[in-house]
Amino acid sequence: MGSLPESCLMEPLAHHLHLSPATFWMIVKLVIAFAAPLTLAAILTWVERRGSAMIQDRIGPNRAAILGRWRLLGLPQLAADGIKFFLKEDLVTRDANKALFWLAPVMAFVPAMMGFAVIPFGRTFMENGTAYHLSLLDPGNGMGMLYPMAIGAVAVYGILTASWSSNNKWAILGGMRSSAQMVSYEIGMSLAVLAIFMTTGGYDPHQIIGAQDSVLHWNVVRHFFGFIVFFTCMFAETNRLPFDFAEGESEIVAGFHTEYGSMKFALLQLAEYVHIVVAASLIVTLYFGGWQVPFIKEPPVLLSVLSFAGKVVFFCWVFIWIRWTLPRFRFDQLMFLGWKVMLPLSLANLLVHAFLMHQRG
Amino acid sequence: MAVVFKKVELTWVDRTYVVPVLKGMAITMKHFLRQLFTSSRKRYTVQYPDWKREVGPGYRGLHELKRFEDGSIKCVACFMCAEACPARCITIEADEFGDLNTLQGFAEKRPSVFRIDMLRCIYCGMCEEACPKDAIWLRGDYEQASYDRLSMLFGKWDLMNTYADKDGKARITQDPTPSVPRPSGKA
Repeated sequence: MGSLPESCLMEPLAHHLHLSPATFWMIVKLVIAFAAPLTLAAILTWVERRGSAMIQDRIGPNRAAILGRWRLLGLPQLAADGIKFFLKEDLVTRDANKALFWLAPVMAFVPAMMGFAVIPFGRTFMENGTAYHLSLLDPGNGMGMLYPMAIGAVAVYGILTASWSSNNKWAILGGMRSSAQMVSYEIGMSLAVLAIFMTTGGYDPHQIIGAQDSVLHWNVVRHFFGFIVFFTCMFAETNRLPFDFAEGESEIVAGFHTEYGSMKFALLQLAEYVHIVVAASLIVTLYFGGWQVPFIKEPPVLLSVLSFAGKVVFFCWVFIWIRWTLPRFRFDQLMFLGWKVMLPLSLANLLVHAFLMHQRG
Repeated sequence: MAVVFKKVELTWVDRTYVVPVLKGMAITMKHFLRQLFTSSRKRYTVQYPDWKREVGPGYRGLHELKRFEDGSIKCVACFMCAEACPARCITIEADEFGDLNTLQGFAEKRPSVFRIDMLRCIYCGMCEEACPKDAIWLRGDYEQASYDRLSMLFGKWDLMNTYADKDGKARITQDPTPSVPRPSGKA
């Protein structure tokens, strides 16, 4: 089991830091669970800009350079944008609700970050009789996958607060559209996930991943329609194109963040990208076997982490890829899709699986 | 004019959205990969300050006032270009040649002042069309910018030297055939 070098280091390292192994492990996990999605989100902004440029036969941002010399494929653009956001004037409109206006970016950002807490990003390993779980919350916490769903639903309040507090017609339109969209897609999504809980026999992510121990057992095979529903709903949930009605820059200026500038805008933007990371890891956990490596039973811990990271990065790319492929839906089309296609589809998926389980006994 | 509505009947495969979306994703991925594995020199974008675009021979860029081999100006100050100019950006003041020069085969007139306001010029090439002596050309230089308005007023000597470096000619600052006052009593 302890094939990984780090796992043998756990106790000595903890000893040197005057911590118990459990506390030390918790701190390590905390750092990973915060740093990894944030870093990935920051890189995703770069991937989005350069990737979209490639898709549209452009070059993308490549002029920003460290000390005017090293362009590094446009990566310094991230730092340049960050510095710019910090140096911008922090405007608050006169009639805005000041307190909520300041609170809204935090309300959008924190739930986005919280969603990652329950997702296992690697295989559990044993050392000296102690099990080390690679998820912030250990299995058996009683929340399981319900937690990211609930947190995901809270995320809409960030957008709604941002739109309402900025006292702007465009913003409130964006916020209302976003909340309507999230409410309608949440049902289909929950039903799709419910089918997985049913067939797995539990809602703990460790359990769900454990059940998908080979490629054929991945839930995407068994719950293909559920996957389509969940995947679509994730786009609605993250407010990404083709469902970015909260922003809708061709219709309502910039939607909910019309009045936002400087670092508050950056935080809203970062929240969207963290949402993508969390959504990708949810998809991976629920439908693509989480940290399971195809064709390898009981993979080494490091390989399982790499496998999870690879899958998450791929699905992050799919989010970006689809954004630059599809145009925005019309709002009534979105509602039609949500209520008349996605909901019946996931309901049928649930019933078919219930029937099959009943037949098998 | 009748407006024609084209009714598109979607097949059930298209109605599911999934297959058309995958088709679209295949197209974008094709573009992505093609652009990714094309060297930046071969991409569509000309990264301007670093690379310059090659312009065709007919390009209408910065003007040049042509000169004879000895360096004297071809322009005869006939005002045809100034008349043809839709932007009214050409200012000409004519000067007289002396008889001596006329005997040598030069025309009687030449410009003492030939000024083009590059901020007004629309690079239409009408002056080039109008010129009976082929004395003004619009050529390939498209990079004209300056920090003040005054330096965008190109005078006679500026215009005669605009392409001197490019063509490997000497920059000239004075006419090799100066105007000679006519002998008194003849005029």
